[in-house]
Amino acid sequence: MADSAEEARIDQALVTRIRLGADQRAFEQLVRRHQGMIRAQLRRLLHGDEAAADDLAQETFVLAWRKLDQFRGEARFSSWLYRIAYTCFLQARRGPARHEGIDDESMEQLQTPARAIDLQLDLERAMQRLSTAEQVVLLHCSQLGLSHDEAAYVLGMPLGTVKTHATRGKAKLKTWLAAWRDVANTEKFS
Amino acid sequence: MNEPNDEEIEALLHRQFEGPVADNGFSERVIGDLPPRRRRAAWPLRLGGLAGAVACWLSLANVPMLQWGWRDSLAGQLSVAAIGMWLAMAILAFLALGWSVAESGKR
Repeated sequence: MADSAEEARIDQALVTRIRLGADQRAFEQLVRRHQGMIRAQLRRLLHGDEAAADDLAQETFVLAWRKLDQFRGEARFSSWLYRIAYTCFLQARRGPARHEGIDDESMEQLQTPARAIDLQLDLERAMQRLSTAEQVVLLHCSQLGLSHDEAAYVLGMPLGTVKTHATRGKAKLKTWLAAWRDVANTEKFS
Repeated sequence: MNEPNDEEIEALLHRQFEGPVADNGFSERVIGDLPPRRRRAAWPLRLGGLAGAVACWLSLANVPMLQWGWRDSLAGQLSVAAIGMWLAMAILAFLALGWSVAESGKR
């Protein structure tokens, strides 16, 4: 918690330096501090398309540079960047949310555990089976480590909706991955 | 069926996440492509202040209390009207100061 507060304080100091003198070096430090997580967020959102994710990440930082005066400090700087990146992602995707669900055969395979299937692969499939909203909420809360409040700010969703999607998403994953756990337990005790 | 608990799901999700991406020249590319940053022009603020002052003067110029206060101040008399006028100006100045401090704190 203290580390997080310290990080936020450093970000705020860098933002102030940029505001006072359009300091490009201070902005470079901000980019270096946050590029890793912003690119990781976009890669997850774009299902691993690294080139497209990097293009959007670049667009995100250029927008942040242009609109830095609009950053009022009501959220952490990192959350503000995640929000810009998510908006860039939505604009790039344009149109209704696509749900890239998996086919029935894959789902059957998921529900019928086979020892050869790796748990991480199962989890990846299960994640894809979730609704888009549940996927993005779990990505931001459980993987990027944002609080429910921060995720609500980044995704532009009411706090209650974020909590609901997180709970439902996890409940579905629990059900779908229960079969895998049964096999793991059987192996453990046999 | 033996369902995993919340902590196990959280741990699995956390493990599935690859973590931050290595820079590999990305930051340099971003900095190289940054457009020049335009500084906010100061003239709209000054023009707004001037317009506000003129509007204030026009609306208050004919208020008798202020006229008496101004006249007494110039004559060096500490009348009720003069004290009232200076007190009102001081309160307004403090309010403006408070608003400016609050706005600068948000930035």
